[in-house]
Amino acid sequence: MTNARVELTELQVRQLRDCYRTLRGLAESVGAPGVRAAVRIAVADLHAALEGQALEFDLYTHRWDEESSAHDHTLAS
Amino acid sequence: MVSLEPISTVDVPYWHPRTETMPRDELAAWQWEKLRRSLALARNSPFWRERLPADISSLEDYFARVPLLYRKDIMAAQGVAPPYGTMPSTNPGLGSHHHQTSGTSGHPPVRSFDTTRDWTWCVDAYATALYGMGVREHHRGMVAFGYGLFAGFWLMHYALERIGATPVPSGGMDSRARIRLLVDLRVEVLGLTPSYALRLIETAREMGVDLKRDANVKIIMAGGEPRTDLTTDIIAEAFGARVHNAAGTTELGTVNMFECPEKRNACHIIESIVIEEVLDPVTKQPVGYGEQGVRVSTGIGREGLQLFRHWTEDLVVKRPWHECGCGRTWDYLDRGILGRTDDLRKIRGVSVTPTMVEEVVRKFDDVAEYQTILRRVRGLDTIVVRVEPASSQVDNEVLGARIGTAIKNEIGIRPDVEFAEPGTLPRFELKAARFHDEREG
Repeated sequence: MTNARVELTELQVRQLRDCYRTLRGLAESVGAPGVRAAVRIAVADLHAALEGQALEFDLYTHRWDEESSAHDHTLAS
Repeated sequence: MVSLEPISTVDVPYWHPRTETMPRDELAAWQWEKLRRSLALARNSPFWRERLPADISSLEDYFARVPLLYRKDIMAAQGVAPPYGTMPSTNPGLGSHHHQTSGTSGHPPVRSFDTTRDWTWCVDAYATALYGMGVREHHRGMVAFGYGLFAGFWLMHYALERIGATPVPSGGMDSRARIRLLVDLRVEVLGLTPSYALRLIETAREMGVDLKRDANVKIIMAGGEPRTDLTTDIIAEAFGARVHNAAGTTELGTVNMFECPEKRNACHIIESIVIEEVLDPVTKQPVGYGEQGVRVSTGIGREGLQLFRHWTEDLVVKRPWHECGCGRTWDYLDRGILGRTDDLRKIRGVSVTPTMVEEVVRKFDDVAEYQTILRRVRGLDTIVVRVEPASSQVDNEVLGARIGTAIKNEIGIRPDVEFAEPGTLPRFELKAARFHDEREG
């Protein structure tokens, strides 16, 4: 098997990070349900890819839980 | 207008080239960074907040101070506040997927939810494994399972999709229909348990189908059960395909290892998402490369249900990464999961213990004694319950049907029920031996 490596270029890294930041912002601010759902899926997809390249590690979904900020998550389901 | 660079057309053997080939010191630093943030999030969980020491300063400090997590701890936490208990670090209401274990270990099942982010993370880990096995976007893949609560093969379905391959769902089909589909669609990738692979081979023979000649399966992901090399060889020979091992746990949420095409039985740990210790079963101290111990798993990346130092009961032997020539810097488990420290047995992916059968059978007054035998019948793992009726007046046919239905309802698998003459089964004063696994050896 070849030991080929395909590294992201600096430009690609910068573009991907910009995309991620933009999507993360939209995921918390967009009100239209259909758009918000699509953006949140896009955030997850991009995050998995960036994490695989050791570029980003962000645990963020708990921030979307406006109602649970004052209490534990245990009983929220 | 964003300027874009041309697409590289090199076929890279790694799904994530960067983290799969990281120098070990960089990998350790990346793991620590992820663990550090995971520990911080865990403060949202009542369970982990109580359990985790404050100010863990390094991986070494983590190993030294964080207590081992046993199944009983998980079940206790889950029992406090069903369905998911006190462990979640993120509101389960933000989940988008639910899965659970078979619920057949004599206790309630381990239940699991995933946020969209977590599910993507889980799928991506599975894609790492499949891509590493050689699955590519031009392939068609069939996942031969019932599409029920068990997470593992759902992940394979979505991982095929993520890679860009074409998943062929076969949830409602019997073995004959699946074989016809494999042949008709020239399916190249097949996911299933080793037991079910043997069943498909047997069924194909009955149909007059030569799988090696008539089908086109090239890559088999056979998971969910331990297997012998002989079983692997039988499956590989019958299909004319490479058979790969993989394993994971519901507690972790996804696969933790996969067998490398470069070296048979070298099951690389996906070290970008999990930290695997191997500890002596008795002293609970680390063992070295090449020594057998219990796999202790720490998930680094899941946000809803986190896992720190989970004592899996899986017996493994870890080997250093450089003994495999694939270029990954991930250590590997030699031959995957070698066995378990407890008495749990896997039947068609379902966990079965002696007490589970006993709890059912002992409810029948007409049963004087019984034995449970795990046997491979026509290639399929089967539970055989050998019953000794309390008297010769018992209608064996009726009793057998009732026991079969009860076990099916409680355990999820319909057993074969056999009858022994009154007084012929052994009795025990101490340490009963009613449970026999004839598949071993």
